[in-house]
Amino acid sequence: MEQVIGGLILLPWLMALAVFLIPSHRGRQLVTFLSLPVLTYLACKVWNAELPLFIHTPHWVETAVTVFDYLLLGYFFYQGIKFRSFLVSVLAAAQVFLLTWALMILPESYTAPIYVDRLSAFMYLIVATVGSIICIYATKYMEQENVDRENRFVAILLWFLGVMNFAVSVNNIEWFFALFETTTLASYILIRFRWDDISIRNAIRALWMNQVGGIAILFAILFAVKHHGVYNFTDILAIDKKTLSMIPLGFLAISALVKGAQMPFHRWLLGAMVAPTPVSAILHSATMVKIAPYLILRISPVIKGTLLAKLLITTTGFVFVAAGLLALTQDNFKKILAYSTISLLGLMMLTASMGSPIAVLASLLLILFHAIVKALLFLEAGIMEKLFNAKYVEQMRQLVEKAPITVLFISIGFMSMTIVPFGIFIAKWLTLETASNLLSHGAYIASIILVTVGGVVLTLLYFKVIGVMARKRGEFSHFRLEKLPFIYFFTTTLYVVATMVGSIYIARLSTDFINPVVKDIVGAAAQIKASGLTLYTPFSEIYGWQIIGAIVLLLLVPILAYFIHFRNTDRVYEYTCGENIEMTIGTYDFFCVSKIEPFIETAAVALFIMTLVFGGGLV
Amino acid sequence: MSGTLAIILTILAPVIGGLIYGLERVVRARMQNRQGPPLLQPFYDFLKLMDKRSIIVHSFHAFMGIMYLVGTWFSLYVLLSGGDILIAIFFHVLSLAFLVIGGFSVRSPYSVVGAMRELLHMVAYEPVFVMAAAGLYLVTGTFQISEILKSDAVPIFSLPLVFIAFLLTLPAVLKKSPFDIAEAHQEIIGGPEIEYSGKFYEAVYTAKWIEYVYAFFFVFLFAGGNYLLGALLTVFAFFFVNLVDNATARFTFRQMIAFHWYVLVPLVVINLMLLALWRA
Repeated sequence: MEQVIGGLILLPWLMALAVFLIPSHRGRQLVTFLSLPVLTYLACKVWNAELPLFIHTPHWVETAVTVFDYLLLGYFFYQGIKFRSFLVSVLAAAQVFLLTWALMILPESYTAPIYVDRLSAFMYLIVATVGSIICIYATKYMEQENVDRENRFVAILLWFLGVMNFAVSVNNIEWFFALFETTTLASYILIRFRWDDISIRNAIRALWMNQVGGIAILFAILFAVKHHGVYNFTDILAIDKKTLSMIPLGFLAISALVKGAQMPFHRWLLGAMVAPTPVSAILHSATMVKIAPYLILRISPVIKGTLLAKLLITTTGFVFVAAGLLALTQDNFKKILAYSTISLLGLMMLTASMGSPIAVLASLLLILFHAIVKALLFLEAGIMEKLFNAKYVEQMRQLVEKAPITVLFISIGFMSMTIVPFGIFIAKWLTLETASNLLSHGAYIASIILVTVGGVVLTLLYFKVIGVMARKRGEFSHFRLEKLPFIYFFTTTLYVVATMVGSIYIARLSTDFINPVVKDIVGAAAQIKASGLTLYTPFSEIYGWQIIGAIVLLLLVPILAYFIHFRNTDRVYEYTCGENIEMTIGTYDFFCVSKIEPFIETAAVALFIMTLVFGGGLV
Repeated sequence: MSGTLAIILTILAPVIGGLIYGLERVVRARMQNRQGPPLLQPFYDFLKLMDKRSIIVHSFHAFMGIMYLVGTWFSLYVLLSGGDILIAIFFHVLSLAFLVIGGFSVRSPYSVVGAMRELLHMVAYEPVFVMAAAGLYLVTGTFQISEILKSDAVPIFSLPLVFIAFLLTLPAVLKKSPFDIAEAHQEIIGGPEIEYSGKFYEAVYTAKWIEYVYAFFFVFLFAGGNYLLGALLTVFAFFFVNLVDNATARFTFRQMIAFHWYVLVPLVVINLMLLALWRA
């Protein structure tokens, strides 16, 4: 099994090297295509193995990681000087100082540095499927952008998958720091990929913001060693809850919030939108930001019910609403997607910090479906950009006339985030029911308000966009589907099929696939049952006929709508009270919300500090 | 509630809703010291509309009107079949989806503005609905509507403020004054429904009747297993909504959302917090 896990980590690196070196475009595409079956096979093998696994590594690996750490920080320092970013250099220097300090006081530990449990295996599966498909898509995307640098681009994406696999399987927090910073490096390189001024500026911003997260991890190590003399996840989880110091966990939570682009650190993820679209797709779905809920899930058994968890719930719930509200003001399609990612990441961390089995189940469902759906939406954004020249919502007017498939796919993506019976909705429903259960203890009332309000705000946002796309002039007189390049069609269809199948079989999926993960994280499986398509929870149930009915309504209706023509009816122009008006109608842009943006940011900063100071027990 | 009764009620929902609507017109007229139309007037209108020449903008739009009826009907069945109350609330969004997309799909400013306002309605009332559902759960210990209808506890006694908030949000659900901003007849002449006519308008019109049943059934739930009290509450809610409708002028959408988020939601929260405190 060690070899399989080694393969999951190293194969993407080798493939990246191959893609980098192979001169022919077809050859590179072939290697990238191979990543999907190979990685999926390996991930399935890990999934089916006896877990959890502790893997001891030879001593030289530890030395290598330390050397790598210093090299990486040195590179960051150099980048800071090169691009005259004082902040980056200072933070890198601070990291070097803290890392050296940490290395000096690190006690000898006999715990294995690699720890693979179901949560890691779950992440492997997401990286292997969702991530690889994005890489395949990227080969085509770059063909239309810049073939000369395609090898470099796809290679970094593939390498990123390996880094991500490594990051979710480490136990040693010092190694985790190294990998956390490596993902920072990967995102930095990807964001500045186009090498223009704005890309570099945004890349630098992403760099320093993520470095703050790195510093938080180093503090976590220092405090963990000072209070308990341990620096492995499993050791910290094993400490008795009564004597456990919250300070290291508080710092870890902060680093998760930074990585998850929670306000006020959301700007780096928005800045990442300047990079080619596959970058956004991979950052938002399979890698990078998913470290945030992953980290919270790791520590959720010990922070459950503490002040830290409550403050995390408030902070992330606040972000869930605030990011949704700010998304309303956006005009750029990718930015809308970015804000909604920030918002949903908030929900994932909120459920993860609740820590009850059902909440953790909801969190995992969110991670899974969000990865699939966000990847789908970003790929569609790329397709619209390349084929239909639509980057802004305003340019998508009447897109349904030109590109019915694209519009259908985007609608499915949006619908799945809000409407019954799709996966993300089920997760939200479970969250609401769990939160109401906690209300009887009088503690979590904020969470339910935030979840409901955030939910409707996102619904408003998605419908606003769908509405613009659905507007059309008249009848489909000569109806035809748009021609998509094969790779575009293939990759997006895979995601759509995954969303649909996953949503229909949500009950089975939750009990057979997600629940073992929950059991590994919390120690007890969630009390859910599946029979047929019906999902039973301790509070209530969603019936199979409801799921099927909603799917039929949502899916058949838009398809039928293309083909149904009412005969024997007369066509007229729109009735506008006889007024002579222009027929180009915009959409609401909610400028009123941008007025409260400074307040939102102030509140977010305050919540951040509160989480760290009170939740982490620094007072 | 048994399965057959649920099916019968669902099938009869348009008739019940139509009667409620007819009664409402009579009641409203009496409140304004008018005679008002006969009770069956909505059904006469129905027949008249069926007879009209079919004029549509395009098929997609017309089809969405029909799907609004189907979706609403389906979501009512989800509610009446005794399943999860939250699921029933969210299914209502599904039906709304068709109306909104239909409204957006034509290039008429009134229709588009109306559809947008329809969404703002949802933003306003849905938090209140969901938190009222959470309140019902706190009192009865279940989200299952069939269980709530059997429970011995009478939720309204523990949730008076939630009930008041719910009553005040009903005008927004039923699109009545002061929250009739989505179909504001004087400014956007009917909003999302303006471009429908004939049979297709009929579908939208009937779906609204079904929404009456949908909304008032929630009021009924506040009495738990006590059906007599439930009926009384529903009748009270009916008269109250009409009184408010007659006595108020239209708000702007900002005022509507502010009222819901800053007045009604806190009202619900205070009630839930007191309840949690009482329990602890």
